[in-house]
Amino acid sequence: MTNSSPALQIAGAALRTSFRDSTVLLLTALFLAMVLLSAWLGWSATQTINAIYAAAVKVMTAQGVTIPPNPVSEGSALSLLRNMSIYVALLGALAALVFGHLAIAADRKSGVLPLIASRPVSRSAYATGKILAIITAITGLTLFAALVNVGTLLILPGLALAPDTWYRLAGFYAVSALYMAAFGFLAALCAIEHRSESMALLVPVTVWLVLTFVLPQVTANISPLAALNPLSATAALPVGPFFTITDAVFGPLSLAEAYRSLSTEFLQLAPDHLPRRSVPSSLMTMISFNIVLAAGFIYSAVRFDASRSDFNE
Amino acid sequence: MNRRFDQVRAIAAKEIRDALRTYVVASIAGFLLLAAMVALAVSAIALHGDVLAYEEAKALLISLGKSVDSLVAPAYFPLRLMRGFIEQTEIVGAVLGIVLGYRAAAIERGRNTLALVMTRPISQSTFLAGKTGGNLVLITASLALAFLTGVIAIVTVGGVSLTGEELMKVFLSFVAASFYTASFFLLGFFLALHMRRLPHALLYAFAIWLTFVLVAPQIGDTLDPDNQVSGGVFKKLNIAKPQEKEILLSFASYETARNAIEEASPAKHLERTTFALLGIKEIYNGVPIRTILYERMRDPVALFLIFAAMAILLFGRRIDLTRLTKET
Repeated sequence: MTNSSPALQIAGAALRTSFRDSTVLLLTALFLAMVLLSAWLGWSATQTINAIYAAAVKVMTAQGVTIPPNPVSEGSALSLLRNMSIYVALLGALAALVFGHLAIAADRKSGVLPLIASRPVSRSAYATGKILAIITAITGLTLFAALVNVGTLLILPGLALAPDTWYRLAGFYAVSALYMAAFGFLAALCAIEHRSESMALLVPVTVWLVLTFVLPQVTANISPLAALNPLSATAALPVGPFFTITDAVFGPLSLAEAYRSLSTEFLQLAPDHLPRRSVPSSLMTMISFNIVLAAGFIYSAVRFDASRSDFNE
Repeated sequence: MNRRFDQVRAIAAKEIRDALRTYVVASIAGFLLLAAMVALAVSAIALHGDVLAYEEAKALLISLGKSVDSLVAPAYFPLRLMRGFIEQTEIVGAVLGIVLGYRAAAIERGRNTLALVMTRPISQSTFLAGKTGGNLVLITASLALAFLTGVIAIVTVGGVSLTGEELMKVFLSFVAASFYTASFFLLGFFLALHMRRLPHALLYAFAIWLTFVLVAPQIGDTLDPDNQVSGGVFKKLNIAKPQEKEILLSFASYETARNAIEEASPAKHLERTTFALLGIKEIYNGVPIRTILYERMRDPVALFLIFAAMAILLFGRRIDLTRLTKET
């Protein structure tokens, strides 16, 4: 038997258990429904702008003024998927949180941890198995979403697909998977660290709230709800030393901003504006979060006391 | 009648004591206060930066002997600084409500005391009224603390005093926020009382929160053509306001559908009510309360109806005593 077998078995068991859970199924279904909806929303909004442009051309022709180009023609076909980055940041992150939580909480509640501890399975194999399960679940979700988007781009009429469209789409989904994985690892870490299941759920949700709605305001005065819009990644830094300092200090910790910047870049949402954060620094933020959280989870899992594993509400 | 009132009061008082003993509720209420204050402080700092930049540009133009007519001075309307504050209340306030609702049921189910309470000479409605009453006190106290701190911050940082009318506008915004947060409390309480597995109740409540507070308004925003082009489609095309209105007339049904999606969100009703009252929506800046309420009455009414519907749902459904254990 190879060293990786127990890890794979644990990963398989975690996936089977989680996908039998109605909450995971609900959030997965909600996310996938929004994937389907987002393509339609993007297409519908684009059609409306085209119609507005046609009506505006009539008005401008009557006025005898110069007719500017259609704003839609300035964007790429991928900008149709602009909502995807929002749904990944909201539903994708929550689904990842729930999956990461259940991957550990199910074992703690069912009392199998003392049993696993009595078997010849190392703690690191257990932790690796759980990480593999989280990565597999998130990869499956993003692959499905990507395939739906590929189908949408191929089916929708009148779309001019640039040669780099598929590379960009692959890049977008790679960073989406990284973003969700960070929350999956965070939830797994909290599920193994906290003695109360409610706290194990509330802490990662609070961290998600801070990263999504509070940090963008502190670093760049982006209001909480505007922070969801990927175009906010291109907003200029407000003037004054306060934002220069907060952006320098908290910017590298602003996971949601890093994801929005990368989404804006990969999906070419604002071709005439560069995101405030560069691609390398945003990627560095996302990769660092994943490494730190996954390592934190492995460390906690290795020193976890299996004999006192049940939650204490 | 008096006995029933005493029972409600006793349950409510115990609910408040229990909630104050656990740090979960205090943490979230503290987080709401902190997030709201950060939003307010950051808005004030950004405005201060704009004022300094304006002063510098003005001084430069004067030193060059040029006209300063082209410069627009940043306007200071103290209540408009509360935009981020209100948005944080929309997001974190709903989470506070859900957690309080979840906790109200979870502490009884966790100790298996709910079935025991139900065996006592106490009606279900009395029990629910006590629990709800205690938590509504906690919600209004948390929000009152946040709004009061916000007003004090505006007055001290801005160095301006608020008029009676402005204070009333803040108070009405607080009332609207209380109904909004209380609706999410009722949702969390209902789900945690009736769902077989407690953590599932919390997650379902979060999924509903996410759908109606963040996703539904976002769909409405997406369908707004002006949000799809950086800077706005009409500005990009140099279309004047009268022509913009004329063009939009032919998209009336599209706008109706878009608005209907937005109206499914209680957060949007809170936002519309408070943004109008606080003058964050520019057309209502400086408008008397009576006029604002007359024009925007459907939004506070919608908030109240959502609250009433959740209360009917909670009080109208019998608790299944066979499902009231910690977990199955």
